[in-house]
Amino acid sequence: MKHSKLTYAAQGIAATILFMASGMKFFGDPASIAVFEQLEMEPVGRFLIAFIEMAAALLLISPFAVAGAALAFSVMCGAIIAHATRLGFVVNEDSGLLAGLLFVVLICSCFVLFSRRKEIPLVADTF
Amino acid sequence: MKSTLDVDLETASRTANGGIVLLLGLFAAAGHYASFYFHFLTVGCLLLVLVNLYWRHFQTSHTLLANFGFLAQIRYLVESVGPEFRQYLYSSDTEERPFNRVDRAQVYRMAKGVDSYSAFGTLLDYDSTEIKIRNSFYPLPKSQLKPFDVAVGASRGLATTYHITRPLMISAMSFGALGERAVRSLARGAKLAGATMNTGEGGYPKHHLAEGCDLIFQMGTAKFGVRTEDGLLDDAKLAALSALPAVKMIEIKLSQGAKPGKGGLLPKEKITKEISELRGVPMGKDVLSPCHHIECTDAASTVAFIGRVQAVSGLPTGIKFCLGRADELRDLIQEMKHQQILPDFITIDGGEGGTGAAPKSFMDQLGLPLFEALPIVHKMLIEAGVREQVVIFAAGKLISAGKQLQAMTLGADVVYSARGFLLALGCIQALECNSNTCPVGITTHEAHLQHGLDIEDKSRRVANYIEAIHHEHQELLGATGLTSASDLTELNIYLPPHATAQPTPIEAS
Repeated sequence: MKHSKLTYAAQGIAATILFMASGMKFFGDPASIAVFEQLEMEPVGRFLIAFIEMAAALLLISPFAVAGAALAFSVMCGAIIAHATRLGFVVNEDSGLLAGLLFVVLICSCFVLFSRRKEIPLVADTF
Repeated sequence: MKSTLDVDLETASRTANGGIVLLLGLFAAAGHYASFYFHFLTVGCLLLVLVNLYWRHFQTSHTLLANFGFLAQIRYLVESVGPEFRQYLYSSDTEERPFNRVDRAQVYRMAKGVDSYSAFGTLLDYDSTEIKIRNSFYPLPKSQLKPFDVAVGASRGLATTYHITRPLMISAMSFGALGERAVRSLARGAKLAGATMNTGEGGYPKHHLAEGCDLIFQMGTAKFGVRTEDGLLDDAKLAALSALPAVKMIEIKLSQGAKPGKGGLLPKEKITKEISELRGVPMGKDVLSPCHHIECTDAASTVAFIGRVQAVSGLPTGIKFCLGRADELRDLIQEMKHQQILPDFITIDGGEGGTGAAPKSFMDQLGLPLFEALPIVHKMLIEAGVREQVVIFAAGKLISAGKQLQAMTLGADVVYSARGFLLALGCIQALECNSNTCPVGITTHEAHLQHGLDIEDKSRRVANYIEAIHHEHQELLGATGLTSASDLTELNIYLPPHATAQPTPIEAS
């Protein structure tokens, strides 16, 4: 199925941010460690989320982009919950950069999910 | 009256729809107060609630989802796997359509070279409602039978007269309908068994030619491979194609059993560079085959067109159609006699056929069944005094030797099968021929699906099937006490009172 350039651009943007975020978590970036300590999920939760983000990023640039978008959307929902309930939207004096990127990925993944809704297995024809 | 086992689905769905919202709240609370890991469940639940909200209040195309929410989706999911469950678990051996398990297993056995003996009686309802071949008091051993030999084009004294030596031929399936490996397997199998193969209307038969078997080139209404830009016949292209040593006959397709009266549509997405070259059509544009040959608008122009193709090709040339009106056929035969142009063969495609994708109403309701059409054509040719000059090919669900011999008693000289050969290639009747997703790699162009279709192995199976059918033909023919299939007549068949193919006078048809 053919899609617009905008869909591919959204996939690329989301995948790039997720790759970066995943890398920071995997390589023990102090800011990431601090975030997951606040969530009481360090280190298992950090590696788990890093793994899911990496999987979502890889899927977004593969023929299974719709699965990647669903995964990215889910992780971002979890991140919003974390920011809203424990972290706040300004983390480590980053002026809201982390939260901003979060919303970029959320919007991109929503857009990809909508554009590729006919590729969702089993329930595609209900959308 | 309600029994105690009744499930109140309305209450169940209302509870489920409220339940997931409640669960969402519980998981969110657990994530907040107990452990953040609970938010994995919160997110999963949130997605379900959002989708359920959309199904219930925003989409309008699925009533059940709007009324009952996500529980109704279970119905669609179970329904979607229904065909597989029925095929593997619930349908009996004789229930499925178009071919039941008994029919399919018979072809698989022949293709694998396993004998067809079974014990403890037939699995079919063997009663007076079925068509049967009549056996003789005086059967003959195989050694006393004449070799199968049908000459096509002999009545015109053609130097290119073609001798068919196997009673079963591979029916028209194009490259396009089939993937490359399937075409190559069939062609190689035909070569191994000395059988004849029809190219289908796929244009220049590059992949058919690669294996060196004898070919019948089919010219459909779009004339792929031999057309001008306007869709008319290009004499030069036809002459060049007819000069190829492997091309033995030309078949002009007037209509086909799957969709008589309708031309095919080749969507632009399926037109690869190779298909564009082979069919002689541009890329990036849908190609709609006309519902009839532009040159053929009435009996006179149709017969003249047959004559033109015969003259240009120099090969035995015939027509293929699915019979509709007998009076039109009578007019056509009269016109043939008038113009003194007879097709060298006529292929009768039963309305119950085929592999071609077609609108369901065309597939189910249009065209005469083979066993009804065959005697009509056969007798009309006899009445016109031209039966000896025209060979009759028959097609339409003839995958077993018994059915094929029945067709021969009703007038066929040689038989075609398409789906029989697909089964020989390993078809599992997934019914996905038109969606490019054939799981056994036959009717698809996807490389990963064709991966498992080994040409060497499958061509051997195709050859086995042809040889096994030929062997069974001889066995059955011997049982009728006849030395040649051409001696079969209506005396050799039992037609129950309510069967089709009653030997009724032509005037009544």
